[in-house]
Amino acid sequence: MRRFNLVTPEGTRDLLFEDCLARRKIEGSLHRIFKSKGYCEVITPSIEFYDVFDKNSRYFPQEEMYKLFDLKGRIMVMRPDSTIPIARLVSTSLRDMERPLRLYYNQNIFVANPSMMGRSDEIVQTGIELIGSSSKRADLEVLCTAIEVLDACNASSFNLEIGNIAFFQSLISHLNASEAEREMIRHYIEVKNYPALNDLLNTFGDSDVVRALKELPRLFGGEEVFEKARKIYPDEDLDNILSELDCIYNDLRRLGLNGRITVDLGLVNRTDYYTGVIFRGYIDGCGEAILSGGRYDKLISEFGYDIPATGFAANVDAIAKTIGNDKAQSCSKKPISIVYGEDGYVIDSMAYFKRLINDGMPAEYAVFDDINDVRSYADRKGIAEIHIVSDKITVEKVGK
Amino acid sequence: MEMIKSNKLLRIALTKGRLEKDTVKLFEKLNFDCTELKDKGRKLILQIPNAGIEVVLAKAADVITYIEHGVCDIGVVGKDTIMEMGGQFFELVDLEFGKCRFALAGKKGLSFYEGYTTKTIATKYPNVARKFFEGKNMDIKIVKIEGSVELAPLLGLSNAIVDIVETGSTLKENGLEVYEDIAPISARMIVNTASLKMKQKDIEDLIRKIETIL
Repeated sequence: MRRFNLVTPEGTRDLLFEDCLARRKIEGSLHRIFKSKGYCEVITPSIEFYDVFDKNSRYFPQEEMYKLFDLKGRIMVMRPDSTIPIARLVSTSLRDMERPLRLYYNQNIFVANPSMMGRSDEIVQTGIELIGSSSKRADLEVLCTAIEVLDACNASSFNLEIGNIAFFQSLISHLNASEAEREMIRHYIEVKNYPALNDLLNTFGDSDVVRALKELPRLFGGEEVFEKARKIYPDEDLDNILSELDCIYNDLRRLGLNGRITVDLGLVNRTDYYTGVIFRGYIDGCGEAILSGGRYDKLISEFGYDIPATGFAANVDAIAKTIGNDKAQSCSKKPISIVYGEDGYVIDSMAYFKRLINDGMPAEYAVFDDINDVRSYADRKGIAEIHIVSDKITVEKVGK
Repeated sequence: MEMIKSNKLLRIALTKGRLEKDTVKLFEKLNFDCTELKDKGRKLILQIPNAGIEVVLAKAADVITYIEHGVCDIGVVGKDTIMEMGGQFFELVDLEFGKCRFALAGKKGLSFYEGYTTKTIATKYPNVARKFFEGKNMDIKIVKIEGSVELAPLLGLSNAIVDIVETGSTLKENGLEVYEDIAPISARMIVNTASLKMKQKDIEDLIRKIETIL
């Protein structure tokens, strides 16, 4: 039988030295942002009951979840998302807490990707959830935090695009279409498949709503989008949604991020999960969104607690890969000296070693039994001095 | 390691072969300087200097991979490959060349849907075939074939094939016929999701130009 004891499964990898540093650095700077705004960390289990994600099977297709069984034969999954477990948590343990709740997390999620696509099955996400407010103020707080995250990535440029899922939902309610047809229309708008969308909508004949839906995926860009959107289908409900989004857009523009905030009314992913303002963040050099989020006012009620919420998740791996590793920054300081204790002086040498480090001298402790091995090792590693501890301390310069 | 995506250029991946030639024709209509593209030798990365475009030549399936991973901004690829591979990208323009269709075909004169035995389908496009029959709630057995799929029903390996049909002459010459059309195919312009947002103006300008001459 072939054994797989020397390789990692497809979609996973070992992170070494600089990779770890890059990840920790990003996590550190993002968590500083979250904590400074009063967000508290939660960690949920890596393994959850399948039932937790079952209702949301539309966004978490079972073929994309890693599954296992517990000892009673119940189906478990490796969590494919962090927001759903937090919704579970909020409806149970945190039910009586003062609102709003400000939570942040930093944990791996697992996705079973198709083979040979070069995608990661284990992704580190860090994000926030602001729970218990349906106010525009909460949307703005989360959006501003997302902008701070994009800014902290230090990429040459970034872009935050905002939309409102309610615009599409309200618009399509005017079209007399079946559930399946609506889903097809939504899908074509999401992937901006103009030709297929036009073909499908043409089967509904020509009407104002058909023309408006055809236009929807093209409604992205700057301020001019609002102007165009107001004309595509005059309706009070749609106007209100647009005015609200326009207001948020203009508020964000006051942050002085000219051109880096854009609008996309064709952002129609996960329609039943999100309910209001949604957004995505991009940084230069990365082929996917590095953060995404939005308002999800109905999700937590699936766990028996009807409470509004908004939040986002940032993809730490994608950020780390894009902004790269700081190669100059090595894992630990290069030692200048190595400390060796002669037989009988091992404990003394450790005390001496500790003193050196406390004094700020980058040092290493020698684990060789023979002083000659220490000498050749120090020579190979370019360590300048050997400190030999016996009844006295002798400092030996390495090399010729 | 990977090639860093340039900030200024638009990088376009073209499917080698016929779609490449048709795209070059399209670019020439737009007065793009295609000298390098027409005299490329063995080079795989080529410049269109007067349009700020860099062209990458790749196999169809790889075009999708490059777009998905964001190492190219725009791709020209057949709908057949998109249907087989799927993926996350925007499919903005139907370029209206490279037209053909997916069809279910088999030996002339047989009625494919007759009987209750599970049918065997030979195809280069197992995902397209599976999805087509899933839509009909039909269980089938799929055999993946790499070349001349038409052989499979002739040799008795399969009841039918799912394949690209253009004129149908290969089918006819081998005593096969189309049982049912599955989907029309043509070349599509696909765009990386992040590129469309980060390079919106450049990409929209290009698409607008292309749409005016289609």
